[in-house]
Order: sequence, then structure tokens, then C-alpha cells
Amino acid sequence: MNLVEIDDLHAWYGEAAVLRGVTLSIGRGRILGLVGESGSGKSTLALALLGMTVGLERRGRIVMDGTDLERLDERERATWRGRRIAMVFQDPSSALNPLFTIGTQLMDVLRRRDPPPPDLRQAAVAALQAVEIADPAQRLGAYPYMLSGGMKQRVMIAMALAAAPDLLLADEPTTALDATIEAGIVRLFQTLRQDFQGSILFISHQLGLVAQLCDDIAIMYAGAIVEHGPAADVIAAPRHPYTQALIACELDDRQDASAPIASIAGDVPAPTDHPPGCLFAARCPLAEPRCETPQMLRAMTPEWEVACWKA
Amino acid sequence: MLEGVIAFEHARARFGTVTVLENVSLVLEAGVVTGLVGESGSGKTTLLRAAMGLVPLAAGSVALGGVAVARLAQDRRRFAATAQMLPQDAAGSLSPRLTVRALLEEPGRIQGRDTWPSVVALMAMLGLPPVLLGRRPHQLSGGQARRVAAVRALSLEPRVLLADEPTAGLDVSVQGGLLNVLLDQQRALRQTLVVSSHNLNVVRRISTALVVMVLGEVVETGPTASVYASPAHPYTAALLSTNPVLDPVRRIVALPLRGEMPSVLHPPAGCRFHTRCPQVQPRCRTEHPNLAQNAGLAGNAGRQVRCHYPLGSA
Repeated sequence: MNLVEIDDLHAWYGEAAVLRGVTLSIGRGRILGLVGESGSGKSTLALALLGMTVGLERRGRIVMDGTDLERLDERERATWRGRRIAMVFQDPSSALNPLFTIGTQLMDVLRRRDPPPPDLRQAAVAALQAVEIADPAQRLGAYPYMLSGGMKQRVMIAMALAAAPDLLLADEPTTALDATIEAGIVRLFQTLRQDFQGSILFISHQLGLVAQLCDDIAIMYAGAIVEHGPAADVIAAPRHPYTQALIACELDDRQDASAPIASIAGDVPAPTDHPPGCLFAARCPLAEPRCETPQMLRAMTPEWEVACWKA
Repeated sequence: MLEGVIAFEHARARFGTVTVLENVSLVLEAGVVTGLVGESGSGKTTLLRAAMGLVPLAAGSVALGGVAVARLAQDRRRFAATAQMLPQDAAGSLSPRLTVRALLEEPGRIQGRDTWPSVVALMAMLGLPPVLLGRRPHQLSGGQARRVAAVRALSLEPRVLLADEPTAGLDVSVQGGLLNVLLDQQRALRQTLVVSSHNLNVVRRISTALVVMVLGEVVETGPTASVYASPAHPYTAALLSTNPVLDPVRRIVALPLRGEMPSVLHPPAGCRFHTRCPQVQPRCRTEHPNLAQNAGLAGNAGRQVRCHYPLGSA
């Protein structure tokens, strides 16, 4: 059974729709890559899992381990946050508190573990060791400003994992980092899988990164999931026209360098636009009159679903 | 008319006590697309700004078409007709008080030329609808602001275009449109185009020459295809190995790089890369390597590397 089942989740503000009926499952112990363009709702979906979409109204179900999180009251929800669902944010500099040492911040999280580890300091050292920080005991006394961006992101990952969550949300965790540091963080995620039993939702706009790290992939467009399946299958033979167009935009060394570079004409529908049918139809090269009816995810195989009647 | 070749000679730039460009000697060929790569803080932006005369040099020189940029930049209006820069913070480069229309009219007005037909054509090519003309910068998305800044620079059809991270923050679905427009103008005008980028796939696709920087120094130069095929500097090799490719079978095999780049405030003695270098030897800790032609790199004319023990040499 899946760890998380999201069913027809909507989030909106007045007339503006940010999530338009997201249906998505996250398998136990799997890394799911969530890919989409700016404004497609990736971060909002992660925040909805935490129950933290400030200013937005929500409707739908988020079932984790048999509990519908959306029906919990705020106090119950808070016991899930950080404990069973943890998050690593895009910008580690603004996610750490500048006034406290990383040791203090790390031990605050470890204290929430049930039961807390007998020796908090020792557990904090082990947590830093697990994310491959050199001289972990000395580093406990460091303030965030004393660390580089890559180090801070490692500390964030250590903090997120400190409570041994069942679900780790990573929102573009390498976007703010240089390429060689990014590679180190990606390698760290790969290493962590050996010990971390939980599932990871890895949000990224870099398909190449997702292809190399994730078991499954979900493609998000204008607030909805349009394709979801095993990463290798989806990338090798995408079924949704949007996924196909997105993959065609990726540059690699096997393309003809003299040909024009691919792009997708047109714009994503604004949150205040409510197309009656397929959200991608206005930009889709294959659009037909039948696309004016709503497109739901359909199973292609037991693991692979696509929201296009042509798929 | 000035030739578009940009030549740095022993250029050094400092901010206070920090040296951000160290002894840069480099020729950016006229009519060629050069890619510029390196970590944050390696001096890419400073190099581009120095070529625009926006950063005073503490030593050495930079010249455009054989004339010192310091001299050309004394007449900013004339210089702007020749050389334009696409700044990394495109949104920040647009005056918040002007409408998009005023922002796009301004370059032509300053140069006393009617650039409006090319503004209109560029907007269409970049997918900017005319309705945006009435808006102000804060009403644009990041991607739209970047494209408006590009229209401003390109509408002057400059001889030299320096693009600082032109695709940063752009979705892959729209980056192709901007790159195609840049490349079309580059080919049509035989423009000197220098593009700094963290996106190694973009650099490989669009550039024919490559410059790699580490901590304010140029560590490798050469034809892009040849450097990508066989990097000679260990940093270049590590950087290129991190490039994610869209193939689940080809996993990242990033070369092991120790730790993080040292601070430019305290660059290490000897080779500036030695603290992270997987091939480090005792000599690298004390003796600073020069940027040199490497005859050992078989069949690689025009390649230079700053390393005592370059990769792939005999």
C-alpha cells in the first residue's frame, strides 16, 4: 500500500486556482520526483502536505497511513509536521535561524523524537556525520553564517531527518547551489536511502536530476498532475503531450546543434483562467475538439497514469 | 567600426582588499560565441562587467578592438551602441518607474535611431504580447522581465553582447525561445557573444569557445567541443561530470571533489584548486601554475590549462 494518497486536492484564493484537483500517490520507501514549471503548484502541493498553505483555501483528501490529514484539527496536524513529515527548503540560508547554533537547532528537533535519544549531543553529532559534514562535534557550535550554502543545506537535511520522518519533502533543495556542490547533495540523497526507510518527494524543475535520482516521476501542469509513473519509463517514452514537449526542450549532446532549440509556444493558463477541458489544450500540437472536455488521469499500466484521452 | 575582439591582459580587479580577478589574460574572439563557466564567486560577472568598463581594473588592461575599454567607456553613449550587457538581475535592471514601452523606446532615443521596428519584431519572437507595453516592471513575471531586458539590449544590434546567466530562472519551456533569438542575431551580425551560465547543457549547445574560471583565475580555455570531450583541468573535469543528462540509465558519476571551494578572501597558496583537487601533488600546494598551452593535449590546438599535471596529457 502507498504511504500517501492525495485525492482531488484543490487549493484556491478567490478566483485563482493554485491546485486544480491533484491526485497522486507516494509509494513507501520510494523517491518521487515532482517536475513542473514555475507556478505549476509544486511548492503549494508540498505545503499542503504540511497543512501550511497560508492564505489559500483547500478541499480534498490527503491520506497518510490511513489518516486523512485534511480532517485533523490544527493541534493534531502540528504533531505530524516535522515529526512524520519533514521538509527541506530551497534556500537554506533563510530556513535556519541565524541567532542559534546549528547544534541547538538540531537538538531541538531531536527532542521531538519519540522517545528522544538519551544523549542529544551525541545524536546531533551522528546526524551531522550522516550528512557527511567533517568535524561534526566542532560544527555543533557554529552559527549559520559561518557555513557555506552547501553545508547549510546538509544541516537542513540532517534536521529534517533528525525526527526520523516517514515522508521527506525536498523543495528544489539544490537550486541555490553550485554544480559541484549540487552533485554532492544529490549523491547524499542517494546514500541516505540505504538508512532512511521513509519516502521522499523531490521537487525539481530539472528533469535530468530527477531522472538520475528518482524511482517515480510526476509531471505537474497548471495545478494538476498530467502524468505519473516509473521515472525510467516516463522519460524513455512519455505519453502526455506536455511531458513530450518538456522533454524535447531538454538540451543534450545527441542533438543537432544547428537546429533551433525547442520551446513550448504560448503560456500556462493563469490561475484565474478556468479552461473547461484539458489544461494544456491551448498549447498542445495534438489538440482536437474532444480536448474541450475535462481530462482525468487514466491508468496505462498499474503504475503509470496519464491525463490525456489520446495517450 | 571597431572589431569585436575583447582582449584582457594581466587584468586584476579588486573590491577593497579582495581580489576578484587575478592576472586574467584572455582573448574573446570576434564573431564567436564564448561560454563562461565556474562556481559562484569565481569572477564570471566581474569579467563581463570589466569588459563593459563597469569595473575599474587595479592592474592590467582590457581592450575592445584594440582600444582600451577605459577610454571607450568615457563616451558611454557611443560605447553602448557597440557593446551591451544582459545583466543577471534582469528585473533589477529595469527602472521601476517606467512602463515597458518607455523602457523599450529609451535605447533608440538615446542613440538617436528608430529601433521600434526591431523592438516589435523581437517582442514577437520572444513571445511578449503587446499588452505588456503598458505595464511596469513589478507587473511582469521574472521570465517576462528577462525577455524585456533582452529586447532592450538586442534592439540596438550591438557588435558585442555580454549575457550574464541569460537563462537563470527561466523555465526550460521558454529558454529555447530566448537562446534562438540570441543566436539568430549573433549569426546575422557576426556578433561577439559571451554567455556566462551555470547550465552546462546550454553552454555546450550554443558556444564554440569555452572559458573556465576558479577563484578569479582562468584555469582552462579552448574549443567547447574539445574541452567537453576531454577536459584538461581537474576542476573542469569535475564540473562537467556533474552535468545531469536525461537518461535514467546514465547515473551521475561525479568525480569526488573534496569539500567546498575556499573563500576568495583567502585563496590558498600554490594552485587555487589544490584543496579540492583529487589529483593533488606536493608541488601544487606551493607552486602556482601558469595558464599555458599544453602540447601534450593531442590534437587540441588553441587549448590552455592552468595545471601542473593536466589530465589527458602524455
